[in-house]
Amino acid sequence: MLCNAPAESKLRQRTADTQCIDATTITAPAGHWRLAWRTPGSAEPYSLLVDRQALAAVLLLLVALIAASLAYLALGSSPLPLPAVLPALVGRGDMMVVFLVQELRLPRLAAAWLTGAAFGVAGCLMQTLARNRLATPGIIGIDNGATAFAVASVVGLGVSLAPPAMALVGAATAAALTFGLAAGGGTRGYRFIVAGIGVGAVFGAITQLLLAQVHIDTANAAYPWTVGSLNSRPAGAVMLLGIGLAFGLAAALWLTRALALMRFSDAVASGLGLRITQRRWQVLGVSVLLTGLAVAAAGPVGLVGLIGPEIARSLSSPRGVPIMASALSGALVMVLADLAGRMLLSPIEIPVGIVTAVVGGPWLLWILLRPASRNLA
Amino acid sequence: MAAEPHAGLASARRLPRTLAGLLMLLVLVCVVSLLLGAGDVGPDRALAVLMGQGDAEARFVLGSLRLPRTLVGLVVGVSLGVAGALLQAVTRNPLAEPGLLGVSAGAAFAVALALVLGATATTMRVGVAQLGAMAGCLCVLGVARVSGARNDPVRLVLAGAALTGLLLSLTSLLLLFDQRAADEIRFWIVGSLAGRRLEHLLAILPSLLIAGGLTLVVARPLAAMALGERVASGLGHRPGLIRLLIIMAVALLVGAATATAGPIAFIGLVVPFAARALAGPDIRRTLWLCLPLGPLMVIVADIISRLLVAPSELPLGVLTALCGAPVLVTVVRARRMPTL
Repeated sequence: MLCNAPAESKLRQRTADTQCIDATTITAPAGHWRLAWRTPGSAEPYSLLVDRQALAAVLLLLVALIAASLAYLALGSSPLPLPAVLPALVGRGDMMVVFLVQELRLPRLAAAWLTGAAFGVAGCLMQTLARNRLATPGIIGIDNGATAFAVASVVGLGVSLAPPAMALVGAATAAALTFGLAAGGGTRGYRFIVAGIGVGAVFGAITQLLLAQVHIDTANAAYPWTVGSLNSRPAGAVMLLGIGLAFGLAAALWLTRALALMRFSDAVASGLGLRITQRRWQVLGVSVLLTGLAVAAAGPVGLVGLIGPEIARSLSSPRGVPIMASALSGALVMVLADLAGRMLLSPIEIPVGIVTAVVGGPWLLWILLRPASRNLA
Repeated sequence: MAAEPHAGLASARRLPRTLAGLLMLLVLVCVVSLLLGAGDVGPDRALAVLMGQGDAEARFVLGSLRLPRTLVGLVVGVSLGVAGALLQAVTRNPLAEPGLLGVSAGAAFAVALALVLGATATTMRVGVAQLGAMAGCLCVLGVARVSGARNDPVRLVLAGAALTGLLLSLTSLLLLFDQRAADEIRFWIVGSLAGRRLEHLLAILPSLLIAGGLTLVVARPLAAMALGERVASGLGHRPGLIRLLIIMAVALLVGAATATAGPIAFIGLVVPFAARALAGPDIRRTLWLCLPLGPLMVIVADIISRLLVAPSELPLGVLTALCGAPVLVTVVRARRMPTL
C-alpha cells in the first residue's frame, strides 16, 4: 500500500534517477490512487500509492466494527436504548446507564477489540510467512504454548512472573519448537502444520497436567485460559496488550512491503532485494509477541487468527498483504462472537473461545476440503 | 510397501518370539499395575494379597479398584491399538488415528448429547458412543475419498484435527446447558481409567467380540488391499464391502473404548507405529502385535499417571498425548512419509 520513491531496492532508485521521470506525468497503476508531493529542499518527489480496493476494505470494516461495537454496548442482559448509550460514553445521563456502559461493557469491548486485532494481525503475518492460510498461531500450537505457561504462572509453580510475561515465553517456546522440528521441511506445506499440531498437543497436555495438580479453586481461576473468554480478563494484561499491539501493528505495517515480496518463492524474493532471513525473523517475532499478549488477555481464541485474515483477504485486493484490514476484521469477529456468546443463551454466558470454535471449525474444514485448494490468494 | 523381502521374511519368522516376549512383558506390567498405586497400600501389602494372604483393606483395594482398572486398561488398549491399525490400513495413511481423526471426539459428543437428553444407563452409553464413532468414521473416510486428501496423509490429519476441535467445542457448549451432565461427564471427558468397575467391562464385551470377529474376517482381504484396490478385486475381494466392515469394526472398538475410558488420543497412532517397526508392513502381523502392545502402552501410561502426582492422579489422556505427540512429529518429519 505504501510506496516511497526512495525505495528499499537501490536498483529501482537508480533506474528512477536515470529515466528522469517527471512526477506530474506518472499515471498510477490500475486500481490505485497516486498521491505525490514535493518537500521543499529535496530534489526527489515523494509519492504514495493508495490501493483503492484495500482502502475501501479498511473503511468498510471500520464502519462495520463501529456498528458492531455500538450494538455490543447497547445489547446485553439489560438492553439499553442507543440514544442513552452515546451520552453515557462521555459520562452523561442516567447513573445506572453510565455505570453499565463505562464500567462493565466498555472495558470488555476494549479487550475484545485489542485481542481480536492482535489475533488477526498475528494470523495474517504467520500465514504470509508460511505461505499457507492454515498456518495460524492457533493451529501451529503457539496459542497452546502461551496458555500452558500462563496457567503455570496462575497455579503457581514457584514462578513469580505475571501471566503476560509467561504467556510470551510460552508462545516463543512453542514457536521455536514448531519451527525447530519442522526445520527439515522448511516453513512450507502441511508437515510444518502437523508438527505444530503435535507441539500444541504436548502443551495442551501440560496445561491439563498443571490443572490436575492444584486445588479446584485455583483450577477455576485458570479456567478462562483453557477455553478463551473475555469474562475475567486481567486489567494489567489488557493494558500490556494495548501497548504491544500499538508496537506490533506499527511494525507489521512497516513490514508490509517485505511481506508482499515474501509471498513469492525465496529465490524471487531475495532477487528482488529482500533480506529474507532477517525479515522472516522480524515477522515471526511480531507474530509471537502479539499472540502471547493476546492469549494472556483472553486465552486461546486462536481461530480469530484464521477467520479475520480470511475476511480481510476476500475484501482487499490480492496485490498487498492486508495487515490493517486483518486487524479490523479480527476485532470485528471478536466483538460479534463475544456479543453472540453473551446473548444466545442469555443467563448463561458462552465463552468466546467456544463461539469462535463452533463457527470457525466448519470454515476450517471447508478450506481443507475444497476441491481446488489455493494456498494463498 | 518398499520393505525388502528378506526383512519381511525374517520378521515373519521372528513374529512368534516377539509376540511371546511382549506377552510376558504385558503380564509383568499387569502385576506391577496391581502392586503400585496412589494410596497407602504399598507393594509389600499388595504382594501379600497376590500370595493369598493380606489384610482386608489391601484385599479390597486390589480386588475392587486395581484389578478392574487393569482389566479396563487391557481392553481399552487392545481396542484402540487394533482400531488404529485398521484405520491406518484402510485409509492407507500412517497418521490415521481414531483420536486425531475425530472418531473419539464423535463418540464423546454423542455421549454428551445423550446425557443432556436425559440418558443415564451405562449400556446405553456404549451404544450411543458407538453410533457417534461410526458417524465420525464416516466423516473421515468421506473426507479421504472426496478431496485430494487421499494422496496427502497430512491434510487428512488436519481435517481430523479441525473436526475434533469442532466436536469438542460443541460438547462443551452442550455441557453449558446442563449442570448435571457436566458434573457427570467432567472426569470422563479427559480420558481416565480411574473408578471403572467390572460392570462397565461386561457392558462392552459383546460389541468387542463382534468387532474381533469382523477383524478376523477382514484381515486377509485387507492385506490384499494394501496392494491396491484393483489388485484386491482381481484377487476376488470386494473393496467396498471390506471398507464397510472395517468402519463397523473401528466404530465398535473406538465407541466401546471411549464409552469406558473417555476419549484417549494417540494410542492408535503409537501402537501400530511400533507394531509396524517390529513386524514389517503386513497388516496381519501388525494386528497380532497390536494385541499386546496396545494394553502395554495404556497400562504403563496408567501406572505413571497414578505415580507422577501421587496422591492425586493425572488423566490418562494427558500422558498419552505427552508420549504420542513426539511420535506424530517424528512420523511427519521423516524425509519420505511412509505410505501404506
